[in-house]
Amino acid sequence: MAAPEQKTQEDCSLLPQVHDIIKCMDKDSQDVHQELNKLKTKIQEAREQISTMPGISMSPEQQQQQLQNVREQVRTKNKLLQKYRSLCMFDIPKA
Amino acid sequence: MAVSERSTRERLLSVLDDVEVLSRELIEMLAISRNQKLPQPGEESQILELLVQRDGEFQELMKVAQEQGKVHQEMQLLEKEVEKRDSDIQQLQKQLKEAEHILATAVYQAKEKLKSIEKARKGSISSEEIIKYAHRISASNAVCAPLTWVPGDPRRPYPTDLEMRSGLLGQMSNLPTNGVNGHLPGDALAAGRLPDVLTPQYPWQSSDMSMNMLPPNHSNDFMLEPPGHNKENEDDVEVMSTDSSSSSSDSD
Repeated sequence: MAAPEQKTQEDCSLLPQVHDIIKCMDKDSQDVHQELNKLKTKIQEAREQISTMPGISMSPEQQQQQLQNVREQVRTKNKLLQKYRSLCMFDIPKA
Repeated sequence: MAVSERSTRERLLSVLDDVEVLSRELIEMLAISRNQKLPQPGEESQILELLVQRDGEFQELMKVAQEQGKVHQEMQLLEKEVEKRDSDIQQLQKQLKEAEHILATAVYQAKEKLKSIEKARKGSISSEEIIKYAHRISASNAVCAPLTWVPGDPRRPYPTDLEMRSGLLGQMSNLPTNGVNGHLPGDALAAGRLPDVLTPQYPWQSSDMSMNMLPPNHSNDFMLEPPGHNKENEDDVEVMSTDSSSSSSDSD
């Protein structure tokens, strides 16, 4: 799991792209425009990815609170169900 | 506090915008400085530092976003479980309601039965008495015509005029009639007839019920009198026949 995470971190960083652009500018290369476009594309892709990522519509603290609430709900309902299912049957008194 | 309330998505987009702006500024500044050959290292390094800082923030926020994604998946699983539990609880509720309804119906019916039993117990009559009455009723041929009955036979399932006159009622004819007639139903009173079945509502009748229903000589009347021999009886029969037919037409 560490390798993919590292890859993701490297993908996230835009500094390598900026560095490439500056290198091209230093060399007076014709690829400057190409590199600039790459940077723009990467930024746009990052925006789209951020828009579609699930679970980030709230802050981490709010999400943790919600998680606790849902866990509590599950616990309560399990308890309730167990209580209903284990209710004692009617004991018919023997005459 | 305001920063912590912002969602992770908003913070990510904000940092990304900053990175874009800073990188553009840096590139523009570098391009200008190369063209103009004016060294501006201070400003460039400042922008570069900011850019590096913002990039670092961006990476941290992306890590946080990925963690939140995992938490979100766990929450979805938990919510599915909650839904399942909800449906189980609803199912149990339905069954409980059904059982309550059935039990309530059974209890109600049982209570009604108990009431009937209590009522019957309070008004209990000995079977011997009922059989005795049944005997007397059927002995007077009020339920069914005797086997030897033919049309023209003066015998009737009700006391005839002659029998009434020769019975206790006839002997009481000296008494004022208002009190007696006042008890009769209005239509029978208007028609001057007695109803076919006199219900035992009068106090003097109930005392008669304990004795023989008919005077003793009348129980032999059916046997001794041959049909159609007594002219007076025939007249009475004709009158009674008319009355009965008219009463039947009235009842129609």
